[in-house]
Amino acid sequence: MKKNLLTIVIGAVLIIIFALLLFVFQVRQSEVAVVTTFGKPVRNITEPGAYFKWPWPIQNVYKFDKRVQNFEDKFSQTLTADNNNLIVTIYTGWEISDAKEFYPKFLGSVPAAQRALESMMRNAKNAVIASHNLSDFVNSDPQQLKFDAIEGEIKAEVQSELSTNNYGISLDFLGFKKIELPESVTATVFQRMTAERTGIINSLQYAGEAEATKIKSAADRQASGVINNAIADATRIRGEGEAAAAQVLPVFQQNPDLANYLLRIDALKQSLNQRSTLIFDERTPPFDLFQNLPANSPGH
Amino acid sequence: MSDEHEHHDHAHDAPETQDAGSQALAEALHSSFAIVKIVMALMVLAFFSSGFFTVGPQEKAVILRFGKPVGEGQQVLLNAGLHWSLPYPIDEVVKIPITEQQIVSSTVGWYFTTPEQELSGEEIPAGATLNPAIDGYVLTADRNILHTRATLRYHIDDPISYVFNFAAASNTVQNALNNALVFTAAGFNVDDILLNKQNEFREAVQQRVTDLVEQEQLGIVIEQCDVESRPPRQLQNVFSQVTDARENRNKALIDAHSYENQVTNNAGAQAVSIIDVAEADRTNYVASITAEASAFTNLLAKYESNPNLFAQQMLVQTMGQVLTNVQDKIYLPQRADGKPRELRLMLNREPPEPKPAATP
Repeated sequence: MKKNLLTIVIGAVLIIIFALLLFVFQVRQSEVAVVTTFGKPVRNITEPGAYFKWPWPIQNVYKFDKRVQNFEDKFSQTLTADNNNLIVTIYTGWEISDAKEFYPKFLGSVPAAQRALESMMRNAKNAVIASHNLSDFVNSDPQQLKFDAIEGEIKAEVQSELSTNNYGISLDFLGFKKIELPESVTATVFQRMTAERTGIINSLQYAGEAEATKIKSAADRQASGVINNAIADATRIRGEGEAAAAQVLPVFQQNPDLANYLLRIDALKQSLNQRSTLIFDERTPPFDLFQNLPANSPGH
Repeated sequence: MSDEHEHHDHAHDAPETQDAGSQALAEALHSSFAIVKIVMALMVLAFFSSGFFTVGPQEKAVILRFGKPVGEGQQVLLNAGLHWSLPYPIDEVVKIPITEQQIVSSTVGWYFTTPEQELSGEEIPAGATLNPAIDGYVLTADRNILHTRATLRYHIDDPISYVFNFAAASNTVQNALNNALVFTAAGFNVDDILLNKQNEFREAVQQRVTDLVEQEQLGIVIEQCDVESRPPRQLQNVFSQVTDARENRNKALIDAHSYENQVTNNAGAQAVSIIDVAEADRTNYVASITAEASAFTNLLAKYESNPNLFAQQMLVQTMGQVLTNVQDKIYLPQRADGKPRELRLMLNREPPEPKPAATP
């Protein structure tokens, strides 16, 4: 009896498991799914979990990766509003947001969806770029740089296309991956850059020389100014000395004759200072002593 | 399977005493059932113990129960250690590698080169043009062509988002980095990127990547962004000439400044000495006048008592001093007839300086 009960329990468990496998399916965190009844999409599943369905062949489940997928278009030449050729690649992140819509449109094929996406991207890209000048793409003035705005316009265009067609795809982000120039244009740009560089070299040279000269002459001017000031100061200082001396002068006024005499004495000392030759006769003091020698006066 | 075997067991139990042959068969069956039971018990055990798993130090794990993460918020993430989950298909364990740091490099902006060339530092000569299919570059704000590339280091902050919301999250990061380079270069002039604002450029690239990954909710944190830029190889020469010219200019300016220093310092020193001399002159002049004045006052009394005698004495005294200094003294007495003598002098151009007199 006991053994029979165990057998029944085990049998029931196995049947339940088998039934669950037939009637239940799981959708993982990163997935979306669609349930079809005889091939017709009837139920959309966007949240992860376990769900019931009728077993095959009545109902089928198709699961898709709902994570954000990266996709970029092939680079293509595009003309800007001011007739510049640009080679532009854009990248996107997209996801399958509605499996019920997505499945019948592309039969669940991601590459097919990407092909559709690529053509939408290319159309949007060409249309938007054609309405902008090159200066909207590259500009040192942040106010005039419309890079973000252009990306936004392309994204909006693709998004509206996606929702009109109801592809079950949503676009998470879109941006430029490359903005380049046609190969032949690069040579022209190189020429222009070379010319610019040469200009910079020349102006550096001249500016450097001019500035150096300016610095040097300013230094000279400053130096001579300093020296002239010093000379002026020196004159003033000497003047002060003379002014101070002038206060002493009244002393000499007491006897101008003596003052005069002393000055002449001083001049004599100065003039016969060194390396001088003196020719004198007996009238020159102190040699006037010779005059009075009796032997020395043969004339008398 | 198992209930079928139990049946056989019962069937052979009843005719136990039939013969030795069937008894041997029964025993053999019995023992093989025992083995089957043990195997089954082991299998059940294995089934439940298969729920054990370990999480390594460089990873985290998430249990999906019927496809849905178990737990709330950060508790969803299981740290390193031993864990248990219900067996498949109820639970599914997803392991997420979390290395300390993830690195991605940009794929646009740089000319075609192979890792080998990169390592050896060898450079293949560049053609006259850049082929958009293989050579990358960016356009700067002043419409120059420039090569630039970046390496981004980040760590995963929100593994759930990083793994479950993105099919290839690192590629998404890479695209954000590429876009950041193209975008940032479009707003900078070539000289700023290469020279004047290298750091601002790098920071702007990093800022753009940070903004993008935040918008995209990638669940990562940017740690570091290194940017390398260089002029096109085709213009290497002319760019290095600019560098030379800039260095020459700087050198000329440095020279000019050192000349400036020298000249002004000299002038300053000269000015100080001019003023010093003037100061000394003033002091000396005043001192000597004062000295003279006091000498004058002293002499005045003597002079006034007998002006003639004083003058005579003074003159003689002075002459005595003067004559010791005079080198050649020629005495020329008056002619007897009182007529003046004729005197002829032969002057040396430069009278030889007497040795003793040179060092007084």
